[in-house]
Amino acid sequence: MQLIRKNLVPDGPGTVKLKPVEDDDMWHAYNLICTGDKVEATTVRKVLREMASGGRDAERVKLKLEVKVEAVEYDKEGSVLRIRGKNLTVNDHVKIGQFHTLEIEPHRPFAITKDIWDSIALDILHQACDPSASADLSVILMQEGLAQLFLIGRSITTARARIETSIPRKHGPAIAGYETALKKFFENVLQAWLKHIDFSIVQCVVIASPGFTKDQFRDYLFLEAQRQDLRTIIENKSRIILAHATSGYKHSLKDVLESPNIMNLIKDTKAAKEVRALKDFFTMLSNDPSRACYGPRHVEFAHDRLAIQTLLITDNLFRNADIAERQRYVRLVESVKDSGGTVHIFSSMHASGEQLAQLTGIAALLRFPLPELDDLEM
Amino acid sequence: MPRKVGYAHGYDDDYDDNYDDDYGNYDDDYDDSEDAYRQNHDLKGNTSSQKLPLARETARKPIVWSCSICTFDNEDSALVCEICCVYKESFVKSGKEANGTGNNIAAASVASRTVKGQPEKLPVKVADKELISADSYGKASTPYERGKTTNSASTAQKVDKVVMVQKEIRLSEPFDTVSSHLKKVNLSDTSVTTKGSSESLPSCSRELNLGDRPSSSNSVSDEQYKPDKWMQFDEEKEALRQLNLAIVGHVDSGKSTLSGRLLHLLGRISKRDMHKNEKEAKEKGKGSFSYAWAMDESAEERERGITMTVAVAYFDSNKYHVVVLDSPGHKDFVPNMISGATQADAAILVVDACTGSFEAGMDGQVPGIAGVGQTKEHAQLVRSFGVDQLIVAVNKMDAVGYSKQRYDFIKAQLGVFLRSCGFRDSSVSWVPLSAIENQNLIEPATDACLTSWYQGKCLLDAIDSLQLPSRDISKPLIMPICDVIRTQSMGQVAACGKLETGAVKTGSKVILMPGCEIATVRSIEHDMNACDVARAGDNVAVILQGINPSKLIPGGVICHPEFPVLMASCLELKILVLDVAVPILIGSQVEFHIHHAKAAARIVKIVSLLDQKTGKATKSAPRFLKAKQSAIVEVSLDGAVCAQEFSKCRALGRVFLRASGNTVAVGVVTRLVDPV
Repeated sequence: MQLIRKNLVPDGPGTVKLKPVEDDDMWHAYNLICTGDKVEATTVRKVLREMASGGRDAERVKLKLEVKVEAVEYDKEGSVLRIRGKNLTVNDHVKIGQFHTLEIEPHRPFAITKDIWDSIALDILHQACDPSASADLSVILMQEGLAQLFLIGRSITTARARIETSIPRKHGPAIAGYETALKKFFENVLQAWLKHIDFSIVQCVVIASPGFTKDQFRDYLFLEAQRQDLRTIIENKSRIILAHATSGYKHSLKDVLESPNIMNLIKDTKAAKEVRALKDFFTMLSNDPSRACYGPRHVEFAHDRLAIQTLLITDNLFRNADIAERQRYVRLVESVKDSGGTVHIFSSMHASGEQLAQLTGIAALLRFPLPELDDLEM
Repeated sequence: MPRKVGYAHGYDDDYDDNYDDDYGNYDDDYDDSEDAYRQNHDLKGNTSSQKLPLARETARKPIVWSCSICTFDNEDSALVCEICCVYKESFVKSGKEANGTGNNIAAASVASRTVKGQPEKLPVKVADKELISADSYGKASTPYERGKTTNSASTAQKVDKVVMVQKEIRLSEPFDTVSSHLKKVNLSDTSVTTKGSSESLPSCSRELNLGDRPSSSNSVSDEQYKPDKWMQFDEEKEALRQLNLAIVGHVDSGKSTLSGRLLHLLGRISKRDMHKNEKEAKEKGKGSFSYAWAMDESAEERERGITMTVAVAYFDSNKYHVVVLDSPGHKDFVPNMISGATQADAAILVVDACTGSFEAGMDGQVPGIAGVGQTKEHAQLVRSFGVDQLIVAVNKMDAVGYSKQRYDFIKAQLGVFLRSCGFRDSSVSWVPLSAIENQNLIEPATDACLTSWYQGKCLLDAIDSLQLPSRDISKPLIMPICDVIRTQSMGQVAACGKLETGAVKTGSKVILMPGCEIATVRSIEHDMNACDVARAGDNVAVILQGINPSKLIPGGVICHPEFPVLMASCLELKILVLDVAVPILIGSQVEFHIHHAKAAARIVKIVSLLDQKTGKATKSAPRFLKAKQSAIVEVSLDGAVCAQEFSKCRALGRVFLRASGNTVAVGVVTRLVDPV
């Protein structure tokens, strides 16, 4: 994201003009824009005009409109952001108060005006405009009969393909069926690979699976690359890494990212930090359960006692339509920071964020044990 | 007048904790209390209240007959009253006897012939044959026979008018008639075959003793389902019954080698194949793998020298057609082991006696780091498959010089663990052996070192001493699909698996779940041989016709067309958390295994924590679950699977939860939250 203009007072009103550059930026914009904000962008609208003759004529007009946001919609597959709201700009074609939906597109600047730029919003802004290299990583998570292809960006993980085939058990003479089924399965995975993996974007490709499926697939891949002369694969052999996963399901992505050799590759990225923070939480939970807690009620209970050392929270809690609710979480984050704790805001688009979201979206590591937590119902 | 003598079997009527029958509660009343529960459950649902007393009564009462004079409850086998020496009532009334003996097919057939008026001419051959069959599966088929007791009893009214033919004694009468003649049921229930027939056929009373274990009736528990005649177990050729035997254990403990060796010794592998395997194994420099290669047929498995998926093989012991399920031992393939071996009736746990290897199997691969080895994990899993009979094969005894010390050490260490898993000492047998040196496999050991201290059973005898679990053919057909085989050339598609309940024959219509597709059974194969009928407990390949082959997937279930199983994507489970490092939280992501299906799942709610001993809820909505706790939880799956409450169908009600490569919990389905 490029910051074009910034005119704001922290914890006060202001306007920021931004230009999204890559897919991740849509996600940041989605997190940044709340209901009640004003967004200005160029857009196209179909306008009906009445001719002098009485007939009607529809025309597409390019306009610059500012709307007061009522709803924001993010499409993770297409990476498109739509903002619905009431028009605020005076012009010939759209009346004030008329509804319009803006579509934020890459490389088209837009301006956000907020009444209050709270710390979270500023954080997101800062992060979004941080030009440090993004860790674009592609992971193929497999198990016999199931493969999923993920692209892991700075703050989002997108599932690009899912291949599922039934592979028979070996069964006497039907053993050939097993081999052909497996080959067919690999062929499908290879097709998905060719379609979705662009080595100019991704740093490396990780093939992860339990057992030997990964090795089998790699062998198949190289063999096929030779046979069909797939230059992209032959040239980038060194960028294909194997890793162990405990299953082929999406939640095992966490294990893959945790493994040391992958961790090295993505060391400084947000994804890596999140993985580590969540791992710490689970370690604490298994070693000293009274020093870890999750769920809004428990976390707030711990916070009242100033016990929170590290707060883990997903970004979708801030996306809450209820302003008061958002304020509550913002205050929680700020006060944890004030009392010397650290806060990790997880992207709910990553595997680890997704997991945290399922653990109610909020969790904390505590400075000192709070055995009372056990008596509090979830 | 009730008997004062206590029966050997305890009855636990307040039993409402299904789960416990897997963990901890291994009394003899396992089946009975389970049935009592099921009846309660069913009755609550839809049947008339009249049935309750009956079902309860039969559930509780051992089979006795009450004397018509002094009303003393005599034992079934007694022909005269113990108190007043009056003959049993049914003896007098010839009509009733035909039905009273319904608790055993053999006896029933005999008796019905008797009614026809030719008791003396009863061919001896029939008697012999029946005797054998009764012997070989007397105990195992009790639920079915139990069911028959009640049902055939209901036909008691008609007897005077109709001379019953053997066929009609079957479960053909609607249950309703039973309730209206409650009293008579008890009476005829307790009656036994006439003196005449039992005298002319001394075997009868023995058969009855085998057959009528005091127990409940579980007939018609599944919504008035009436099995047909062909489903019964009385076929002549069926002298041997199928036993599904899983071979489990830690990686490299020699499971495949043991299975391969057994097959070879029992002549199931041709010389040519064996020779080929030996040669190929030598070429690859893996001479010791030649037997394992009989099981590990895929190139990948041979290359790596480990089993990856469950291999199926067949051999015949003296008592059973044994279906061997050779599971992979490697940690990464535990999911394959679960989906392949859930059908087991009994298991052989193979343990490597070598120094270090046994320890790795117990405590995980990496020394120093506390983990769970696959010896432990597999033992826990097979227990939760519902297997309660285990043979521990202490393999590679040759490597430790057949040392008794080592054997005793292993037995002590593992024994404690197995007990904690819920295996009864009496149902665990220990066999020291060496698969490579052929010691103690199908014949008693010859090595002096071993014979000096071990005179017990060899492995094959241990297999023969296993008891078949009860087979439920009185319920509608349920066959979870373990595997699908497509024959390209013929365009045929076959579903492999074990029939859990009911029976199927060539030409039957079945319904396939998920998808609700009706198909016709074209043929049934067992071990490459065609057979006409497959019954509960049989491991067969069913070739289907009139079905889209892509709809046939492992994890599906073949059912009776009128009784399809339910699908659900949100289930309430009662689980026992195993030894896990990371506690289970709300939102924890797990892999969910149920029969042969698997899915990604997450815990959405921890309803309550249960007390291990009493099964009562101790705490509602706890923060998390720690190792060894049991609890009620709700899980939501990413796709619907076929499932059924454990109380209704055990095979479809057992679940296994795994996370990060370990089995974190095992349990049973208590409720389908969103049945489809």
